[in-house]
Amino acid sequence: MPANETIKRLLAAVAFAADQAAYKELFLLLHGRLKQFAYSILKSQEEAEELVSDLFIKVWEKRKQLTHIESPLFYFYTTARNMAYNRLSRQKRQQKPSPDEWLVRLNSIYFDPEQLMMTEEMMRRIRQAIDDLPPRCRVIFKLVKEDGLRYKEVAELLQLSVKTVEAQMAIALRRLAKCMELEINQLNIKTTSLKKS
Amino acid sequence: MSQEQYWILFSKKLSGEASAAELAVLEQMVQEHPEWQYAIQNLEDLWKRSPEEDKTAGEDAFMLHLQRMQELNLSIEDNGRARLIDPVEKKRNFRWYWAAAAVLVILAGLWILDPFTSRKPITTQLISSVNEISTRPGSKSKVQLPDGSVVWLNAGSTLTYNKDFGRENREVTLTGEGFFDVTKDKEKPFIISTESIKIKVLGTAFNVKAYPEDKKTETSLIRGSIEVTIRNRPNDKIILSPSEKLVVENDIARVENRDREWERRTGNIARTELPAIRTLMSINKLKYNPVDSSVAEVQWVNNKLVFRDEAFRELAVRMERWYNVKIEINDERIADERLNGIFETETIEQALGALKEFIPFQYQKEGNTILIYR
Repeated sequence: MPANETIKRLLAAVAFAADQAAYKELFLLLHGRLKQFAYSILKSQEEAEELVSDLFIKVWEKRKQLTHIESPLFYFYTTARNMAYNRLSRQKRQQKPSPDEWLVRLNSIYFDPEQLMMTEEMMRRIRQAIDDLPPRCRVIFKLVKEDGLRYKEVAELLQLSVKTVEAQMAIALRRLAKCMELEINQLNIKTTSLKKS
Repeated sequence: MSQEQYWILFSKKLSGEASAAELAVLEQMVQEHPEWQYAIQNLEDLWKRSPEEDKTAGEDAFMLHLQRMQELNLSIEDNGRARLIDPVEKKRNFRWYWAAAAVLVILAGLWILDPFTSRKPITTQLISSVNEISTRPGSKSKVQLPDGSVVWLNAGSTLTYNKDFGRENREVTLTGEGFFDVTKDKEKPFIISTESIKIKVLGTAFNVKAYPEDKKTETSLIRGSIEVTIRNRPNDKIILSPSEKLVVENDIARVENRDREWERRTGNIARTELPAIRTLMSINKLKYNPVDSSVAEVQWVNNKLVFRDEAFRELAVRMERWYNVKIEINDERIADERLNGIFETETIEQALGALKEFIPFQYQKEGNTILIYR
């Protein structure tokens, strides 16, 4: 998860030292997730790629002003959202799509069975549960968990209330936990039946 | 409190959004529902994980991006190379460069600062820059730190932290016993230093028992994961998994401390001979009570003094702190007797009366001192 402190440090190096290495590091740090974010609105890989490049051109041009931003991560996401909306309206393709229509894919539901006390079956169920999340819920979950945005930043980005973000996060986690609860009961049944035999 | 409320609070905790008050409510709820523990552990673990990112895709995209910038006549040169041609530009550029370099060095310094080597004894620090929370024997206390983390301090313990705690670091020192519920902050790991170990955490709940007069330092992890280093062995990192307890012999850590100090002061190599075969430390599984899934190591938080297969001599030390008394056992065999039980509302007299049911001993109470004999 990219951290605001890291981004601030890189932005400072870019602004004050025209440090190309720092500029590249910043690009590599944010490229993948910003592209995914742009893709969720634009639904085109090519356009998403171009948008991220445009965004970084803007960063270069405005580098001196960007060192004062409190949450640069949030700045990157709002700018990306605005640029995506502008593209859509320029193309007259569509009015601003609501978060319910965003196409989001989660990456970070990642398991290490050695570490977790989970079975293959349980992981499959969790992946399924994630896929089954309502679109808006998935967008919110992704922005908080994978992109590291604060609740109030997500609320502002999606033009929802903070309460809605809270509630949707709770729904996502409760559904994941549900997959795990079942397993616990199954395990118990297994061990008790073993004892009997 | 409703299930909905629980999931809202729990997700806020994972996202680092929960306030100290909300964390306290959540802790209460979790204690009332030990059956949630399994899902909580897995979700916390799941939350921390992120997959490897594909760097090559980013590298390719950056190449294309630079090409586009060149087409727009925007170029970012490698520092110093293209700009050396223009002396004015060079001078200005370099000044900025040094300013930025200075900033980076300061930042790097902050990262490198090892709380172990840099932590001076409290007495040498400015008193005003340090917060100290102490509990007297016989009393306990609950503290909320500026970052929202909650610490329960057991009797006769001290927790200190700098006034700037939470701003640049999250470092505390502990003497005695504490149960920590640490809020998540990947940027600022929470570091606890005791006399013999150092514990690094990202966000988790666990118990540390590090009374200087005890032979052992114990760390019991309830959920999450923590990294423990033993003083002066900073290269050996021990990662604890949930439900594990790490026990470190204080003697070993102390002897090595002393040797290290001697070397530092005199430049001579000192090696105190240690018994060849001796357990430095061990990792054991925590035992959950089958009835209510509680863990003996943290029951003091609930005002319970729980002992499981514990020698009377060890229990006596804990009772001393719990009841603020001195206990002397005059008989080795009695001291070695192993005991199981829970004290909750019992007075010291009632507690001793109960123990007498299991071990044949007499006792005499003079003032604050209890003498135990056959």
